[in-house]
Amino acid sequence: MKKRILSIVLAAAVSMFCFAGFAMAADDQAAGFTEIPIFEDEELAFINLSAVYFQPVPMAPGQESIEDFDLHLEADIAALENDLGYGVGDWVPYLTVDYKVVGSNGEVAAEGSFMPMAASDGPHYGANIKLPEADTYSITFTIHSPAENGYLIHSDAETGPGGVLEDVFGDGNLEYTFEGWDYIPQEW
Amino acid sequence: MLKYLVDATLQLVAMMIIVGMILGFVRNYFGDKPGKLIQIAVLAGVLCAAAMAVMKTVTNKIDTGGWNLWFYYISLGCFLLFLVSTVLFCRKKVLHSLIPCIFLGVIIVIQMVYALADFFVYPHTIMLTEDSLLSTNFLTKMSGALVGLIVTLIVGFSANAVAKALKRGESLFFLCLILITVSCRQVAASFSTLLTRRIIPNNHTLFQIAKFSSNHSSLFKYICLGILMAAAILLLIRSLRENEPYSNPAQRRKIIFKYRMIRRWSTTALIFSVICILMMTVIYGIANREVELSPIEDCEIENGALVIPFEMVDDGHLHRFGYETDNGVVIRVIVIQKPNSSSYGIGLDACDICGETGYYEKDGQVVCNLCDVVMNINTIGFKGGCNPIVIDYTIENGRILIPVEGLMEYESEFK
Repeated sequence: MKKRILSIVLAAAVSMFCFAGFAMAADDQAAGFTEIPIFEDEELAFINLSAVYFQPVPMAPGQESIEDFDLHLEADIAALENDLGYGVGDWVPYLTVDYKVVGSNGEVAAEGSFMPMAASDGPHYGANIKLPEADTYSITFTIHSPAENGYLIHSDAETGPGGVLEDVFGDGNLEYTFEGWDYIPQEW
Repeated sequence: MLKYLVDATLQLVAMMIIVGMILGFVRNYFGDKPGKLIQIAVLAGVLCAAAMAVMKTVTNKIDTGGWNLWFYYISLGCFLLFLVSTVLFCRKKVLHSLIPCIFLGVIIVIQMVYALADFFVYPHTIMLTEDSLLSTNFLTKMSGALVGLIVTLIVGFSANAVAKALKRGESLFFLCLILITVSCRQVAASFSTLLTRRIIPNNHTLFQIAKFSSNHSSLFKYICLGILMAAAILLLIRSLRENEPYSNPAQRRKIIFKYRMIRRWSTTALIFSVICILMMTVIYGIANREVELSPIEDCEIENGALVIPFEMVDDGHLHRFGYETDNGVVIRVIVIQKPNSSSYGIGLDACDICGETGYYEKDGQVVCNLCDVVMNINTIGFKGGCNPIVIDYTIENGRILIPVEGLMEYESEFK
């Protein structure tokens, strides 16, 4: 009896350590953080816009619960060549970015505004959202002027970068719609 | 509690049926000795699932989608090899019967890691928003998960007893039905991962298959439960018509006892399968029912401002007021007296992240209706996170005055 118990425990322990060892060796990188692209490198005025999603993530402070979310949707916004003072490739702060996800039946499946936040790959605009149904969605991003959040640009010739936000946002918000997002909820 | 009860049931029920059916089948088909191999596989499955849960929570090494792909394909391969080896070795020596059992053992380990690891992660997920393991919220949610575990365990034990009591061929037939069902789901789920990660190019047909599988993920669980119930009904009918020959009273008593046990386990399988179906339908509906927001309270409008006297809102509960615009849009406002304070948390009944979904009061806490985030009442009125959108107001002579002009800026937040 002792021999049998010992062999069972040994077999189980060996399998567990093999499993853990295999898991550790499987990938040296942060394998748990795999960004899934929706679209990449769309150019809106001075902004380069990409959208990705991955597993819902806790965010501090105040957004630690991930219980009821299906994904973390993210808008990666970087500056292109511009005369507004943003460094090329830099994250553009002080934006309000709205998102709207519409299903193939024309009904809005999710909408809201992103929050600015930082992850291991830098700052971005994002939110955990509920999107439990697989479908072919269209997703719209609306980018408001940073001036709405009190961001100012030097407008004199000596210290200013040359342009003002009005040049870009004078006709309203920037908007981009991506059609045909084939989305299937993932097991994270 | 109900949410975790349903989640645990959905998470575990198919795995319990598969493990139970394999255990019963192996003992029935190959005898007790290979059955021990399956018991070791079950133990290994539990330990590997625990290891997986720990790695998921404390490291960033686990790419669940990638692991699942391996699980699906290894599991499918083992199922096919099991079928081939069973045909080849079914009438051979015990040593040969170990080969199909090894493949079934691998299927068990994979199924357990796949389903049980996420169950083991529940305490970690719950603790993300709790301060203590002894908090009422944590204990209530974990109780729900444990009840789900117990119910599905009983289903697993009864599946084991049913598979063991069936005739050899029937046992193989029902096990194959279960494994084919699971394999179909795994193939569809693998399409989902392959398409999403662009490992394979976009394909409309594969997307439609993955979409159907994802939007009807419970269907496969119902089919597994249906197969178990069919096997249990077959046994029940047979046990009622039993007429096994016997040569002495002792043998007769043994036969009666055997069929009594079969009836009991079959009935248990039927009852608990029905309980699982009720959990996955009725209780799921209750657990995911939308919270109805408390009605909007009347307040006066004076000089272009909503007027809310302190005595209407000084009870520490959440109060909701509204202003209807010319376009028929009702702009909602919430007011709550802060704990141990004479000040008030005042904001729009909407937030930047979740929109106009609103807030409700539960157990003395203010909760966002969409994302279930519990608000810190003391920070209501400040900008940030899922906090209500901040609005202009003034306090005057024991009254809160909210200018309509300020509210009108947020008309677009409400539809």
